[in-house]
Amino acid sequence: MISLDTLNEKWEVIVIGSGPAGLAAAVAAAESGAEVCIIEREERPGGILKQCIHDGFGLLRFQEKLSGPEYAYRYLEMAANRRIPILGNTFVLKIQREDTGFGLTLQESGRGVFKLQAKAVVYAAGCRERTSRQVYVHGDRPSGIFTAGTLQYMINIQGYMPAKKCVILGSGDIGLIMARRLVLEGAEVEGVYEIKPEPSGLTRNVVQCLDDFGTPLHLSTTVTEIHGQKRVTGVTVCKVDNDAVPFRGTEKYIPCDTLVLSVGLIPENDLLETLGLGLDPTTGGPPVDQYNMTALEGLFVCGNALHVNDLVDYVSESGVLAGQAAADYARYGRKRSRCLQIIPGSGIRYVVPQLWDSAGERNLILYFRSSQTVFQAVLEVISGDRVLRTEKYPVLRPPEMQRLELKAEDFSEPLQDLEFRIREVKI
Amino acid sequence: MHSLKKIRKLFDRAGFKEIEVAEKHKAIFLSGNVDHWDRYLEAGYLAAGKGYRGVVNDIQVRGLIPDSFTVPSHSDKSLEGRHFHAAVVGGGVIGAAITRELTRWQIDVALLEKENDLSRHASGRNNGIIHPAFAAPPGSLKARYNTLGNRMFTQEAQELGVPLAWPGLLVVFPSRMMHMLMPLIRRRARQNGVRGVEYLTPEQVRAREPNIYNKQQGGFFLPEGGIVSPYKLTMAYGENAISNGAQVFLQTAVIGFDLIKNQGGNRIVRVNTNRGSFTADLVINAAGIWADQLAEMAGDRFYTIHPRRGAIAILDKKVTHLLKYNIGQLLIPAGKSKGGGVTPTIDGNILLGPTAEEIPHREDFATRTEDLAYIYQHQMFLNKALRSDQVITYFSGNRACTFDEEFVIEPSSYVENFIHVAGIQSPGLTAAPAIAREVGRLAAEILKKTMALLPNAHFNPCRKPLPVMSALSFEERSRLIKENPAYGKIVCRCETVSEGEITDSLRSPLGVASLDGVKQRVRTGMGRCQGGFCTPRLVDIVAREAGINIEKVSKSGPGSELVFKKTKGLVDYSSVKILSEGGKEEESHD
Repeated sequence: MISLDTLNEKWEVIVIGSGPAGLAAAVAAAESGAEVCIIEREERPGGILKQCIHDGFGLLRFQEKLSGPEYAYRYLEMAANRRIPILGNTFVLKIQREDTGFGLTLQESGRGVFKLQAKAVVYAAGCRERTSRQVYVHGDRPSGIFTAGTLQYMINIQGYMPAKKCVILGSGDIGLIMARRLVLEGAEVEGVYEIKPEPSGLTRNVVQCLDDFGTPLHLSTTVTEIHGQKRVTGVTVCKVDNDAVPFRGTEKYIPCDTLVLSVGLIPENDLLETLGLGLDPTTGGPPVDQYNMTALEGLFVCGNALHVNDLVDYVSESGVLAGQAAADYARYGRKRSRCLQIIPGSGIRYVVPQLWDSAGERNLILYFRSSQTVFQAVLEVISGDRVLRTEKYPVLRPPEMQRLELKAEDFSEPLQDLEFRIREVKI
Repeated sequence: MHSLKKIRKLFDRAGFKEIEVAEKHKAIFLSGNVDHWDRYLEAGYLAAGKGYRGVVNDIQVRGLIPDSFTVPSHSDKSLEGRHFHAAVVGGGVIGAAITRELTRWQIDVALLEKENDLSRHASGRNNGIIHPAFAAPPGSLKARYNTLGNRMFTQEAQELGVPLAWPGLLVVFPSRMMHMLMPLIRRRARQNGVRGVEYLTPEQVRAREPNIYNKQQGGFFLPEGGIVSPYKLTMAYGENAISNGAQVFLQTAVIGFDLIKNQGGNRIVRVNTNRGSFTADLVINAAGIWADQLAEMAGDRFYTIHPRRGAIAILDKKVTHLLKYNIGQLLIPAGKSKGGGVTPTIDGNILLGPTAEEIPHREDFATRTEDLAYIYQHQMFLNKALRSDQVITYFSGNRACTFDEEFVIEPSSYVENFIHVAGIQSPGLTAAPAIAREVGRLAAEILKKTMALLPNAHFNPCRKPLPVMSALSFEERSRLIKENPAYGKIVCRCETVSEGEITDSLRSPLGVASLDGVKQRVRTGMGRCQGGFCTPRLVDIVAREAGINIEKVSKSGPGSELVFKKTKGLVDYSSVKILSEGGKEEESHD
């Protein structure tokens, strides 16, 4: 980490967050010639990657199977080569709009409370985890209730083992990864419980983390109650229907000392809301255009703060996009002119970006998720009454986000709103 | 006072033929068996309000294991052979306030609390409202102490260094007819000493509270409604008591008394606890949901506490601006602790609730599925901008209710050095300053009989609170950070609590080295991520400050430890045989 004794107050681009999104954004901004620094609230950079000691990162980006810290290290090297300062242990107290861009009020032990200014800001602060209360697990408040990421931090970073016999609620990737981790560290994982009728994480994780270890997966079942006052003594699980309504009478008590929650990530956008930015309710992040710029000119969002991703490679890609655009904006400014919408239609849960400036870049990278699992799916991208693109997928699953590129040649005048929809062909 | 015969008839008519009704110490004693907790309650209420001192309900419910309080696992002799002039049993806001009051005298005071911290039961599980004395029945102790306490609160909070605000209470009429009740409402306010009652038309209500629900029919405003942090207040009372010479003993439960017979009646001579026995000149019963059990130990039980559980939901601070006032509804007939509403807190959240449900087990703090549905239907609707997805967490606590639904604040008639301070349910928090004052007076009367009671010349009612970074301006924060860099390191990012504040709380005279001990003092883990980020870091800080192993760091005392073992450490490999690549054994290297 490069620290400065005399810190510049004015920057062209400031990146908030030094995870895979923020690092990629800062490196891209620097490569585009901008003066950029990174603000990081933890002591060390790398974001969540620091605790992801399993591999599988970087298959697309580097054509290698890296662990989380190794992937982070690749970007940290790039950042160091570009001499990008990373201000660690630095907390953003406030962002506000100013004439020349944005003012950031920051807090750090050595500097106290201080201000920096930037022409453009890239917000890459990631997510927090959904809690047990938010998924209506009732009971008292004993110790032994952990969200999967917190547990991962304790085991991998701190070297503490807070579980002996656990139940995992949620078959999202983090829960699956932790199911394996816990077994490898000597805990007993009684089972993974998933409220939906199908797993929430990547198929490869179900195989490599549960099947390979003989850990059972119970679908259409949720945890309704926690028992214990000082420490968890057990949980009550209950079968549910497809609308997640519990079937009374199917309750089962499972003794355990730990409940692990892997029930979803929520983008940490509280700072952005203070700027008056609205959030897209389906993604949890602010709507952006093809440059990852929000409704506030000069404010860019990327990575998991924009929408929850599955692959770190896409996270870095979104960071690169935001970083380049932020650098361009800082140096040349860019007025948005003809903003059209990109609409999630039938069968599509969301598409990012949600807007596109039709006067700007027409080579678009889009990410989308289907609302349900569909087989032999046909995706159509429509503009007005024209089908711009058709893509076939053998299967589309909500936990597996898809990436689509639209080329300038695909478009023709008059440019209109785009709509993504699925025409599914069932066998 | 109804005769026992009359009460017997009442019980027979209500189908309680097998229930025994007796009188002892001028209280009604019920015994026998019923099949359901509801019948237990029915019997208790039936015996109440008949002119007796109280109702002791010893009826057993078939199939229900009787409640008993858990004695702390730890025991030692640290209190053995000691002497205190006054022992206060119960470390809620009432016990802590009384303890502080007693330090106005030059006496040795001990506050005993069986949990690992103060404020663990009702005092840490309510919505922090300082009530105008409107709901309390006129002439009752509840009303008297409510009114007095309300008037004392501003000065008390100022002395204790605890933030306080007076947003006022907006009571809304659900039906048009209710505005005809205004004369009765004003009369009730006059009877209870509530000032500033203001009638509001529906338009006026909307003007004050823009997000009020559409169907409201006007109401009235009571400016004397305040908000305070009940757990921070309890800590402040405790800390001020300690600074004035009191001693606080946590994880200390009274398991019995040694009594002698006197001309005056009985007298407690020894207090027996899990930490040994000590002598005391006065014992004050502020034991909350277990006050009746303590009274039984002293030989003067004339009430039974039945717990009434209340659940509260907390909303994200993002939506706090949507509410201006504490809002409640006028409900006819006014139920037992029913109603509740939506209220802002002094720390910047919105609370919804509380619910009210009679339950058999006093330390059953589990929330139930029905709680949220009830809260949404009966309380959240009051403000149309509030939604269920804004809820960040919910919890419940149990009110200590007697069957007379009244405070019991009196010296014992049978034990000359025992004072009852029991049945303190709502408006207990509001009443705390006044109850403490009165109990201090009663205590002095008793102590003067056996000793020369001198005032404590060094008594200082003022407590200087430790800095709260999130409440300071950026300039003030910067200045503090320059003095102590630990104030610059944010540990709880949702509530922006710094490491400096955390170590302050751990190093304070009433510091408790557990996660909840830190939480109750500086609010770590109270934000939207509910401890997801700060908990692991707190574990390290608590271990370091308390000088204990990681495996001993607990959430709320013994039995609630977080970490079972470390995953990395020195391993003895001497018995491991190392095979070379070809599969041949080699010498192990250590």
